[in-house]
Amino acid sequence: MPVRITQGMMYARALDNVQSGLFRYTQLQQEVASGRRINRPSDDPAAALRILPLRNDLKDLGQLSNNVALARETLNTGAASLEDASTVMARVRELTTQASNGTMNASDRRSIAAEVDQLLNQVLGIANSQRGDRFLFGGTENSSPPFSLQTVGGQTFATYNGNQDSLEVDVAPGVSTALNIPGDSIFMSRDREATVFFSDGSDTSTGAQPVGAGDTGVGFAQLDVTFGGLTNDAPSTVSDGSGASTAVGELSFTFTTGPDTLSIGGGPAIAIPATDQEFTTANGRTLNLTVTGPATPASGTFTATANMSLDGGATVTNISDFSKTSVQLNNSNDGSVLYVDPTNLAQTGSENVRYSGTFDVFTTLAELRDLLRNDKGLSDGQVRDRIAGLLPEVDNAHNSVLDGLREIGFRSSSMDVLQNRVEGLRISRTESLSLVEDTDIAASILELQRQDLSYQTALQVSARVLQTSLQGFLR
Amino acid sequence: MTFGFGLGAGLRALSAAQLGMRTAGNNVANANTPGYSRQRIELGSALPFGVAGNLQLGTGVEVRGISRLVDEGLERRLQYQLGLVGAAELDERRFTEIESIFGEPNNGLSTNFQGLFGALDQLRTDPADRSLRGGLIQAGKSIGQQFQLISQRMSDLGGSTFPEVQGLVRIVNQRTEAIAALNGQIMSAEANGSDANDLRDARAQHINEIGKLLDTRAIERSSGSVDLLVGGNLVVAGNRATQMRVGKDNDGNTEVLVGANTSGSEIREGKIAALLRQEQNGLPAYMTRVDDLAYNTILEWNRLHSTGMPGSGPFKSLTAAYGAVDGNGDGQIGDEFLSQAGFQFPVEQGELYISVTDETSGEVTRSRIDIDPNSMSLNDLAAEISNIDHLAATVDPTGRLRINSDSGYGFDFSPRLDPNPDGGTFGGINATVGSLSAGPYNLAAQTFPVQFTVDTGGGTPTTVQLEASDFNSTSAATTDELVAAINDDLGAVATAQNVGGRLVIQGAVGGASSELTLTNSGGTVLDDLNLPTVTAFGRDNPLKVTVEGTYEGTENDQFVFEPEIDGIIGQTDDLRVRVLDQQGNLVTTINVGRDYEAGTPVDLGNGIRVSFGPGSVSASAGQVFALDALNDSDTSDILVATGMNAFFLGSSAEDIEINGDLLDNPDRLSAGIGSASGDAGNLARLVDLRNRDISDLAANTMEDFYADLIGDIGFETAAARDTLEAQDQLLAQLQSDRESISGVNIDEEMVDMLKYQKSYEAAARFISVAQEMTDTLINLGR
Repeated sequence: MPVRITQGMMYARALDNVQSGLFRYTQLQQEVASGRRINRPSDDPAAALRILPLRNDLKDLGQLSNNVALARETLNTGAASLEDASTVMARVRELTTQASNGTMNASDRRSIAAEVDQLLNQVLGIANSQRGDRFLFGGTENSSPPFSLQTVGGQTFATYNGNQDSLEVDVAPGVSTALNIPGDSIFMSRDREATVFFSDGSDTSTGAQPVGAGDTGVGFAQLDVTFGGLTNDAPSTVSDGSGASTAVGELSFTFTTGPDTLSIGGGPAIAIPATDQEFTTANGRTLNLTVTGPATPASGTFTATANMSLDGGATVTNISDFSKTSVQLNNSNDGSVLYVDPTNLAQTGSENVRYSGTFDVFTTLAELRDLLRNDKGLSDGQVRDRIAGLLPEVDNAHNSVLDGLREIGFRSSSMDVLQNRVEGLRISRTESLSLVEDTDIAASILELQRQDLSYQTALQVSARVLQTSLQGFLR
Repeated sequence: MTFGFGLGAGLRALSAAQLGMRTAGNNVANANTPGYSRQRIELGSALPFGVAGNLQLGTGVEVRGISRLVDEGLERRLQYQLGLVGAAELDERRFTEIESIFGEPNNGLSTNFQGLFGALDQLRTDPADRSLRGGLIQAGKSIGQQFQLISQRMSDLGGSTFPEVQGLVRIVNQRTEAIAALNGQIMSAEANGSDANDLRDARAQHINEIGKLLDTRAIERSSGSVDLLVGGNLVVAGNRATQMRVGKDNDGNTEVLVGANTSGSEIREGKIAALLRQEQNGLPAYMTRVDDLAYNTILEWNRLHSTGMPGSGPFKSLTAAYGAVDGNGDGQIGDEFLSQAGFQFPVEQGELYISVTDETSGEVTRSRIDIDPNSMSLNDLAAEISNIDHLAATVDPTGRLRINSDSGYGFDFSPRLDPNPDGGTFGGINATVGSLSAGPYNLAAQTFPVQFTVDTGGGTPTTVQLEASDFNSTSAATTDELVAAINDDLGAVATAQNVGGRLVIQGAVGGASSELTLTNSGGTVLDDLNLPTVTAFGRDNPLKVTVEGTYEGTENDQFVFEPEIDGIIGQTDDLRVRVLDQQGNLVTTINVGRDYEAGTPVDLGNGIRVSFGPGSVSASAGQVFALDALNDSDTSDILVATGMNAFFLGSSAEDIEINGDLLDNPDRLSAGIGSASGDAGNLARLVDLRNRDISDLAANTMEDFYADLIGDIGFETAAARDTLEAQDQLLAQLQSDRESISGVNIDEEMVDMLKYQKSYEAAARFISVAQEMTDTLINLGR
């Protein structure tokens, strides 16, 4: 038997049809209007799970893209600074060649010195260059100037206050780059060679030798050797006189009696007792002694100690054991260390020390300036020789700047590649996300029209069906 | 029987037609009444009587009754279905609400997490930038607020269960009252055998309405009344109804009670059942997951942040955010063990490293405090911190730990490397002799007491005597035991110390003329201790060791540095320094000989760079120094538990918020590990946190854990929607079935009306004919 149909059923069916039509209609409307297929997770839970990480990726890639731009900008700023530094060094080389030319006189050199001084300040400014508030060449210690120049005891040297750490930023998934190069590797790079003592004609050779390794000083220095008194191995009747002495090291002595004399180092015998008497050795070194009389044993050796100083007497190292092959001397001006072999040390005087291969940008310029000014009163020839000796150092310093420039330039150019990569990833992620969450507008609009049609049909059919009743046909 | 023309039958037919008409009229009138069942008059032929022998003559029609057209089985199924639909409707509504509370995928917590980590990435590009620091702090503030908002709205939703159930139970009570009243009317109406159709319809309607809210069992009695049971409890019996009420059980969950019952009735279907289920299982499960996420976010962030270096440099003063509570109830705060001090985050067995920085010299001194939460109180901890030079710690009256440093000093908890790790046992000016191996040492072969002498040149050597009682076990004499025993005897001449596990003895006087010689004096204990018996000399010039960089290893370690031969840095051929880890394994060898420029940093390959200044080192005297390399400077989580230098405060979604100190003072944001202004070491650690699988979050990253939660909510909401749709369809089908049986079809009723109209006309005609026949008969007799 067919199902009995009642008006109630028809009303309910009609209402249901109209309502479900309307629901789907509004849902489609939201999808089309918002452009998103998924407006809440339950619209498509599986897709919603994919949306969150995709959106994260996309935001991250946006940040990476900013980072790449930042890195490129920072590196380019650094590169520009180093190009300036390179220009300065080229000019310095020109001036150095010019100054070592024989036709220059003292006043010519003085005017060049003024320019070199200016260039020194310029290169200091470059080494302390900033991007925004941050110093480019100080490692992560980038809120204060990384380089400072000091002049102590006539010696100019630079101090690096930064560190070796790099400012890393992520520039692509899993790739990071350093925004900076710690400045000391650029401006204070060293390629230390054996330290040498050299003569500029004005000094006396003391016999001290550089050990040639383990030193930390930079540029030039002066080693002063002075008489440091006798050790207690001297005969009991012999003591320091108040006058000056030039002999240091182990010395032989011979007493004679009746007449009482003393001979030092094979030199002439001199009558004793004597006060503040100068004794001369066979090789012309002098020793000022007070001798009260003969002593036993009548002959032997004793030691005249040497005081060595790198900083004009501020820090003195007394040498009494001349058999040691390596003695550490400290320079209080810059905290540097020089090792000296005193085994052949025989005489007071001074040595010119040259820490070969240690001339960084600042030291080179400072030395050049000081030589050009010639405050020490060297002869023209000495000045020219020394300036000529600086040429390889100028080149070294310049090369180190160029190395830094190359490194930064390389990094900067790799940013272009990374930028493309990040952008590529961004596009592909955007597409993936769009596939998952965006409304297929064409399909949705078609569907919307279809729903519109079926909704209207439902309304019309309902209206028609609900009107029909037997009532209308009776009478 | 008079006349015998059937006037009686005609009369019956008239009244039957009238009744039929009225029933049809009633049906039409109630066509739209909910729950109305169409009625039909039951007609039968009246009892015949015998005439003329064996003939039986009918006496017309008889109205036997007016019946409701109802399928009782269908009614019951419908009632059950109403309960299911009620529950499904509520589930769908609740899930939709939960879904909107989380606000995904467009503006929920996922956006906040992204914002937080995004701000971190940005700050990394310039850690000292004030506005970027502010950006990270604001992102932290936002995520805290979002967590709290979710928590608040979820708990509002949970809190709405009680009043909502109360409202629904009030409706149930009204209905049961009505049912009881109807029961009374039906009983009295049907006592005389008639059917109280409309009353029954009304009662059935009430029962259906109750069915939407909760599941009941209806038992019809022979009297016509219906008893109603809820969870086995009688709520309607005859004409009496028992009121239901709403209460809370011991767990604080809403329950429905019948009459004077003290325990809640079990409700399985209907809206009320759905509400109770949600309150007990649905909402709390989600809330737990959100709380877990908040808890672990706070824990992990604070672990890293608390051990970072504030932008403003080491602390001068720091106060904990959380106080200890009086766990043992003795009225004293701070005296209970850390495990019982009521901290939201557990204190673990572990160690805390505190670095004290001398602001004038920049020298950093690191101290280690071993923390055992089951034997150490907050007061003990404060005392241990106060033992560190230039620090003073107190527990304030609210149980908060406060640490202050002396003027000119600062402190921090960062795992940064000590820039000057050599305490003088490697490059110091004092004569030093150190063991060539690390303790514990096996001294079992010695006959105790055993002696050795320490000679610092000039004067009588000092004798050191070791007793068996100095050691826990002579076969494993620890370095610390040896240090204590030796220092007891040494006096002011020299001191013993533990350097990276090695026993080192150092003379009290410095300079090239100072010396130190150890000699066995009966026994061979120095051999067992691996202490050289050479004469060690002091130096005029100290050798300076400098360390920089950030340790990249994942485990805390301690590196020991020892020279391979005697020599001068930068001068002696083949002079190398060996680096050993805590287990004694060789990490690397550093060349500091002829080709090494003194003061040049050497990379150890793990983020640490060491440089050696000019000077001499001695392998034969066992010179050595140790460097702590920390990944986690607080393995005890004491900083997290007490809320020191925290990023987030709180411990759940309800109370998570940014540390107010950071809002007031963005300089306290700890972006670095070291003190350099551009140091982003801590930010790098925090960035890594994003991709770390956290075991307490089911080995998910924070964001994945959250995404899973959102996915689950999405799936459940979609499922609830599908269920509702299916149940609705089923209900529609049942209603349609019911309508098919009990519904009123107007057309049908029209036909019935026509039928009864015609029948009435015919019956009237019949009476008229019968009357004429009677008239004819009467007239015949005249």
